[in-house]
Order: sequence, then structure tokens, then C-alpha cells
Amino acid sequence: MPPSAPAQAESLRPRGKGRPRTAETAAPSLVELLNLVRSETATTRQELERHSDLGRAVVADRLTMLGDLGLVDESELGTATGGRAPRLVRFAARKAAILVATLDQTAIGVGVADLSGNLLTEHHEAADLAAPPEQLTERLSALFRWSLDRHTAAQGVWGLSLSVPGAVQSGTDGAFLTTTPPIMPAWEGFPLVESLTRGFGVPVWIRSSVETMTMGELHAGAGLGQRTMLFIKVGRRIGAGIVCDGQLFRGAQGAAGLIGSLPVTSGGQTGSLDSLAGSEMIQREGMAAATDGRSAVLADILRRGGEISAIEVSQAAQVGDAASISILATSGHLIGQVVATLANALNPDLIVLSGSIVQTNDILLAAVREAVYGASHPLVTRDLRIIRSQMGSSAGLVGAARVASEALFAPAFLKEWVMQGSPLGHPAFSDYIGRLADIPKAAPAAPPPPSRQGKEPLA
Amino acid sequence: MTISGLGPHGERAAPPERVTLLPDDRAAAKTAGWRVGVALHTLESDWAKQLLAGMVGIFGDCGAAVIDVVDCGFSPERQVAELDRLIALHPDAIISLPVANEQVAAAHARVSAAGIKLILLDNAPTGLLPGKHYTALVSADNFGLGKIAAAGLSPHLPHGAEVGVLGFAADFFATNEREIAFIKWLQANRTDIRVHVARFGRIDEAAELGERLVSEHPNLAGLFIVWDTPALAVSARLAARGRALPLATVDLGEAAAIDIAKNGSVRCIAAQQPYQQGIAAAQTVILSLLTRPVPAWIALPGISVTRGNVVESFQTIWRQPAPKEVLRALGLSS
Repeated sequence: MPPSAPAQAESLRPRGKGRPRTAETAAPSLVELLNLVRSETATTRQELERHSDLGRAVVADRLTMLGDLGLVDESELGTATGGRAPRLVRFAARKAAILVATLDQTAIGVGVADLSGNLLTEHHEAADLAAPPEQLTERLSALFRWSLDRHTAAQGVWGLSLSVPGAVQSGTDGAFLTTTPPIMPAWEGFPLVESLTRGFGVPVWIRSSVETMTMGELHAGAGLGQRTMLFIKVGRRIGAGIVCDGQLFRGAQGAAGLIGSLPVTSGGQTGSLDSLAGSEMIQREGMAAATDGRSAVLADILRRGGEISAIEVSQAAQVGDAASISILATSGHLIGQVVATLANALNPDLIVLSGSIVQTNDILLAAVREAVYGASHPLVTRDLRIIRSQMGSSAGLVGAARVASEALFAPAFLKEWVMQGSPLGHPAFSDYIGRLADIPKAAPAAPPPPSRQGKEPLA
Repeated sequence: MTISGLGPHGERAAPPERVTLLPDDRAAAKTAGWRVGVALHTLESDWAKQLLAGMVGIFGDCGAAVIDVVDCGFSPERQVAELDRLIALHPDAIISLPVANEQVAAAHARVSAAGIKLILLDNAPTGLLPGKHYTALVSADNFGLGKIAAAGLSPHLPHGAEVGVLGFAADFFATNEREIAFIKWLQANRTDIRVHVARFGRIDEAAELGERLVSEHPNLAGLFIVWDTPALAVSARLAARGRALPLATVDLGEAAAIDIAKNGSVRCIAAQQPYQQGIAAAQTVILSLLTRPVPAWIALPGISVTRGNVVESFQTIWRQPAPKEVLRALGLSS
């Protein structure tokens, strides 16, 4: 039986005299088999032998090791195709949990996911991103502890993944973050990654909300099984997530898809797409329509003491308010023009629009469709579907979980921890945790109030 | 009244007015003759009775037949079996209150996969998405209810007090939100207070758990229990042991209304509006069957009930006069 290429590479490592121990040479084949099982490319021993080119004895040996490590489960029987029913090899996705969170301008969401990135629970609540970072981090931590207390009492946590509003620079770190990348101006200098790693003892990842939502849509939403997809998030900022060959394309700096800063022209005015089509424009124009008599529906909301946000304008458009329809059509056409350029460059199978403005009315989607179809090559739009996301804010949480699970099981990273049975035993992570413990906290938070002490779930 | 919570997927709440039926809608529904099945966690609570009353009335107005109303007895296994039985009856829509999270998710997904409109009440199992696995969720603003309860109990708690929270062990959107919001309100407004949490799996465990919490933390000055039936069970058990603690809870059941009127343990109730919720759920079913777009999450605001407004609150919520015992306790009737 020929050894696999990684196994050969492994065997070239300097070592002592005599035969290498299984533990030294097994890692590459364990990585390969575990990822075949995890991706469900292979679900029986026979399939594993076929896909890995490893012999029966090696597969059996490695599966025993993975079983002992608690990473695979062979307790289930498959369907017999003549002869005995094969034993199914399943990834033990519940071996540990991943904590996930989304931060956006007006809300935070937290969740617990399994190692395959499936969300087990989620909670969303209103929050002000302009609040001090210490306060928001403390709230996030409290909600994480509450979620853990309820859902993973018997399990460990292997990672923590965050989704934040702005672009997150890539290439500054290795497999996991060891410093806090610049994410938002107000958070500059705040050791978010360090605080969370200290607090939960797990590796941390951060991606932009557009990236995590794109990952969520790709793996659990309308993008399931798609190779080429554009994901457009419409909010105060407008951003695009680009999927090529089934993978999220991040660009050289992690800044791919920042379409909101592109210049557009509307009504003789030139400005960025964010400023002329984003939710601030919709809110501003909605307020003007309410006060100058163009919109009876919005004026009625004001009269009843309500506030007008882009959501109200969006809902008013849905019930036929002419002024609101016009505002959303303008926004949709501008977004559509920019998206058409991207669509002509990438030729996607699917374009998914997301964000609460898109979700609460049909007008914006229709306007985007009209603009894209009108400005694209016929071949680009022949089979193109332009739809609305059905995942809501869950897309960000699901996607954040996928970011962590893909990083944890990336072959180069997995190889270094698989023999320990937990990524927390990865040498680089152990080293990082050790260094963090030696460094005094850079910005110690104020002592927690009495109600937050002890081991209370939300404390 | 504003909605302070977010939906199970972070959705912004739509008010029940969004699913108002117009005369044309009712007329169109009447010609269709739809059949609807209902699967609730229990049929025994006042909440469930009022919800059904609101719901069935609207279906009657729209010529839709309610072909079965199932009591799932808080059991996930029973709910799964009952949903599969309802699916086999091929109704046009099913209204269900999922009694658990993961355990009942697949059975609910089977409803929509069978081409039946699924309207959820109070809870959306994780992984099920609106528009894909279900049409809409209709619930109270449970986050708001937790805040109301905390604000109502706070004046009865001395500085530096310890408070017990009895939550529900099942992973349930509504009770999770109440618990999180109650504690969050205290953390924001009463940083002097220390909270102890315990969770019961079944209603009949609540009294014992409450008693244990109180004995483990003898300095407790108040309790929040996530709905009224277990709250009154705890109150009765503590009274039998000679203890009385100020309580806050959710749902203005008849017994809770009597307790609050008689200056019993219950000091504040964050009340849902089950009758209105039933109406909103039925209207959502009708609109979705008429292929009109409906919001993913329709939320009804809670009402803060104290001894001072228990009579009018009872009338508002239950659409009937307050019980004689309530009126007598307040000197409004002899």
C-alpha cells in the first residue's frame, strides 16, 4: 500500500533512531480521513479507502484512533447494498461547540453552533454599537456564558467567531487571531481578541458581516451547492460577498466587495452608493415625504408618535405608499447598476439580497432585478436568479460558525492538534494562551458589579 | 407600546395591525373553505383557552374549519407524532406552538415540506427559517415581558437584595427571552442586586425547585418565575413552609389575578394578550393562504399588571369581567 504524499512528507521529519511511532506518522492520514468524513465525501470505510488511497488496515487503525479521540462515531448502520449493512462513519460534530456572535449598528446576536457549523441556539437583542467597547464586550461575554450554561454544559468550546460591521483586514495573523485587527474606529486600541481569548480560553476569528452572511447563505441558505454567487447586503452600508468556485473570495486585504464606496449619480447628485442608496438615504427621504405631505402613511406614523426609520419606509412601500415606493425604487436601481457591473464581471448563478430593508418589501428587489437585467449581457442573465435571503440575521451567525469550523479543520492547522484530540492543545495556541497569561491586561475593565460576580449564567 | 425584543432570527417586529383582514379578504377566504389544524403545548391553561377563542372566532368569520386541536402535553415526542398525524389529514394550514427546539424541528419542517402553511406560536426551533420552513411566527414580545417583570418587582427589593429566577429548562424562545431580559434589566438598573438562577424541566418540578432555591439562598428577597402556573405552585409551597416572597411572573391567569388583588405574593405580572395573539395568528393563516405577503415575526406588546390596574387589565386581556374574588378583594363588589 503506497503511503499518501503527506505521509511521505511527514516521514522525512528529523526523528530518533528506529521505526517512527504511529503517533508521529499518523497525523496526515488522520487529517485526510477526518476531513473526508466531516465533509461527508465518504461515509463508510469502503468509501474512505477509495477516496484516500489508504489501505484497509490503515483506515481501520486511523478510524479507531479518531474514535478514541471522540472525533468520529461509527455506531450507526447504513443501508445494505447486498450483504451486510455497512457501518456509517460520522463526524462527531457535537464533540465541542463554537461560540458565535454578530455585532451590527443596532443589534447583537449570539449563538452556539456544533463543529459542523450548525446553529444549536441563537438570541438577538437590540444594542448600540456606539456604546463603549468594554460594555458591549461584557454584554457579549454574559450572553455567551448564558448560552453555554444552557446548551453545552457537558461539552467544551473550541472556538469563538465574530461578525463585525466593517471589513476585517486579512493576512495579519496565522490560523487564528492573536491580536485585534482594526475593525471599527471607535474600537481602536481595545483588545477584543485578547479579552475573549482570555475569557473563554479558545481561539478567536473575526470577519466582516458581509463575509459571514455570505458564508451562511452559501452553506445553509439559498446558496447551498452553488459555485458562483453574489451576496448583497443592504443596510446603512452596502457590501457584496463574492463566492467563486464554491469559496468565499476575500481579496488581498480582506476588502473584496466594498461596493458601497463606488460613486453613483442620482437626480443630478453624485455620491457613494452607501450615501445615495443606503438606509440613511431611505430614512431621510422617508422623513421628508412624511413632513411635506407626499406620504400619508408615514405622516400617520409620525402623528401617532412613532419614528421613521428605513424599515417604516420599507413597510409603507409594501402597503402601496407611492412616495415610499419611489424612494425604494431609486435605491434599488442604484444598487442594481453597481450589482450589474459585478454580475457582468463574475457571471454568477445566483444573486442574493439581504438586510431588513430588502426583507420587508418587494419593491427594492424588483428594482434591482430590473437594473441588473437591463444592464447585463444576455448570457449573464440567461439562468441568473436574483432572490431575497430567507435567513435574516441568522446568516451571520451560521456563517461565523462556518468560518471557525473551516479554520479549525484546515489541514495545516488540524495536523498540529489532531493527535491531542482538541485544538486547544495546538502548540501555537497553547503558546499564545501562555503568553496572554504573562501579559497584564492592557485595559482592565471596571470591576464587575455584585450581580455579575460568581458563576451566575448571565454574570 | 413598543416592542423591545428581536425575533428568533433577529427580525424586527411587525405589529398585529400588519395582518388585519379586509372585507375582501374575508369574502375570498369564505369561498375557499380552508381546513386548519392546531397543535398547542397544552389546552388546559387560561392562556391556551383564550388563544383558541381568538383564533377560532376569526376562522369562523372566514369560513375556515378547525379540523383538530391537539394537546401535546408539553411532550416533544407527542408533538412529533401529532404533527405527523395532522399532516396525513392534509389540512391547508397548521398552527403549532413548538414545545421544544431541536427535538421537534424536523417534524415542523415536514409540515411545510408537505405543502401545508405552517404558522408558529411563541417559539421557532433553531434552524427553521421563515419563508422556507414556516410562514410566520406570532408571539408576545417576550423580551419586553421580562423587562416589565423586572421593573415591576424592583420596588419590592431592598438595596443589595438577592433575587431568584426560576426559568424553564426546555430550550424555548419565549422563556429564554423572558429570563435574559429580566436579568438584563436588573443588571442595567439595579446593579446592587445579585441573581440566582435555577430551571425546571416540568411544571410539577417547579414547586420543589423553588423551595430548594430559597433554602440554598436564604437571603432571597424576591422571585421571578417565567409563567404563572409554576409561579403559583412555588408560592403555595413556600406559603406552606411559612415563607412569603414577592413574586413577579408572566401571564394574568385567573388565580394570579386573585393573588395580586388579595395582596398575595404576586406583586407584578407581565401579561400577554393571548386572545389578540390568537386573532393575529388566524389572520396570518388566512392572509398567507390568500398568498399575501406576511411578516416573518408578528409580536404583541405585553401589559404591566399590578394590584392597581388588575381589573381593567383582566378585562382588556380576557375580554370578560374580572372574577368576583378579584372585585371583592378590591372593594369593587360585595
